Amino acid sequence: MSRPGEAEDPAFARQATVQVDNASVWFGQKVALSELSCSFGGGVTGLLGPNGAGKTTLMRAITGLVPVNQGSVRVEGRNPRQDRSVHTRVALVPEDEAVPTGLSARQFVAYVADLHGIEDRGAPERALAQVSMLDVADRRVDGFSKGMRQRVKVAAALVTEPAVLVLDEPLNGADPVQRAALIELFRRLGSEGRTVIVSSHVLNEVERLADRIIVVIHGRLAAAGGQRAIRDAMNDRPRHVLVRTEDSRRLAAGLVGLGSVSGVRLEGHDVVVSTSRAAELALALPGLARSLSVRLEEVRPLDDSLESLFRELVR
Amino acid sequence: MTAATSRSTQPSRWTGRRLQAVVSYTLRSCIGRKRWLGCLLPCAGALLFGLLAHAIDEPGGEAFAAVAANGIFALVVPIVSLVIGDAVLGAEIRSGVFHFTWLSPTPFGLIVLGRWLGGCITALLTVVPACALAALVAGEPASAAAAAAGAAAGVTAYIAVFIAIGCVARRAAVWSLAFVFLVERLLGTALSGIAQWSPMWEARAVFLDLAPGVPDSLIRRGIPVGGGAMVRLALITVLALLVARRRLAHLALSGAAD
Repeated sequence: MSRPGEAEDPAFARQATVQVDNASVWFGQKVALSELSCSFGGGVTGLLGPNGAGKTTLMRAITGLVPVNQGSVRVEGRNPRQDRSVHTRVALVPEDEAVPTGLSARQFVAYVADLHGIEDRGAPERALAQVSMLDVADRRVDGFSKGMRQRVKVAAALVTEPAVLVLDEPLNGADPVQRAALIELFRRLGSEGRTVIVSSHVLNEVERLADRIIVVIHGRLAAAGGQRAIRDAMNDRPRHVLVRTEDSRRLAAGLVGLGSVSGVRLEGHDVVVSTSRAAELALALPGLARSLSVRLEEVRPLDDSLESLFRELVR
Repeated sequence: MTAATSRSTQPSRWTGRRLQAVVSYTLRSCIGRKRWLGCLLPCAGALLFGLLAHAIDEPGGEAFAAVAANGIFALVVPIVSLVIGDAVLGAEIRSGVFHFTWLSPTPFGLIVLGRWLGGCITALLTVVPACALAALVAGEPASAAAAAAGAAAGVTAYIAVFIAIGCVARRAAVWSLAFVFLVERLLGTALSGIAQWSPMWEARAVFLDLAPGVPDSLIRRGIPVGGGAMVRLALITVLALLVARRRLAHLALSGAAD
């Protein structure tokens, strides 16, 4: 259930299965999560943030691997640190490459199934089939590539039939075909009503996966909402574009007159243009160059990385 | 997934199957090739100690008792136990693989018990026969059963202790070595109060009580012997496993930073 009065807050799901309430986690002096509140419900939710943002810590707190020092985390109303029965409902695919040594993929998935008391002997086969690993099921997991390890870990999670599936950078190391198949699988799991939480630091990847996105930066909630809201936040932010030309002074003078330009800086043959309307600038720049008889040698955004978006979002 | 997966609802069957899964996993995955080598090398050392008994100018039974008490039980048994005890849990926690087991509804007590049983089976296949063989190599077949019994009793307690250390300390191997050489060897030699709770001294006491022709000089006063030593080792085992179980419940598996 979403929290009273917060039904419209994009950080909170309407039918929440996972509730994070004012959660803080720290390791010694390092604060990994800081008073973070959000919730997750059925469907796929993307957890977006740069490296070191606290995504993994949040996922580990949701699954109970790390305790929250302050606040609370509840999965279907239960504390995952104290109630072992929660683990029949939640599964984690960790980002770490570490996998058990000396076991085949089939043995590994069967081991997880046995730990969960799964009686159906065919469950491991079906889980491996879902990630297209049946043909290599008898190969040792520790000999797999990173992408194959991720897939077998997904199979180990799926064999438990979790209501809440937490996936930490599950597409890392996967080739494009595997990526597409995994994305389709996660979307299908979400459409079945399961709570699927997927972390990534790649916006495009999250957009393909999730309908709802939660952005975490420096352990705090930076933004939440649908893909469009997050994209708009990115498009509206100030950007810096580098324009290289032989006659930089002339071009700079012309750029100052454009309404889409908020600042111009000269750096030798380069002009660094500040704009909050990048699309408009892109349309106006060729015409301006033609009118000034200036040849453009290079035009490239200086800060089009996700990290720059994150910086802007937390400003 | 399309078909709903059923979970076992019968508690005894459920517990038995999970325990079997943990033990089987421990034997297959935790004790890898390197760990087997790490077990077998000290076992070869036990055989060398058996040969060494021939070089001691004392009656056969006394010579083997001396090398077993001061070599096999003081070095081989703790080192093999350390290799196994660290492998079955501590090494997995450090490598980040343990959360596949932790993130299950299997009770912590069952996990600890299964890992300990897996370790004990490995020890029973390696160091226990090696200790009996050492007696045969020394030409003292009458001491073989005593050596095997002492080793079996010692490794069961040691493995439990090293599992507990693996759950408590990040540098488990260092702390385990410190336990063996500083606490047991150094302090245990001087203080019988510590020796009474030392797997090394108690396993040695089990062996010396059962072996024939043991000189009085090897028998240490002030610590339980025979059945008393076995009870003490059982207590150490139970206490260590309880510590490990409790520690697992409070473990923070933070893994690599994101």
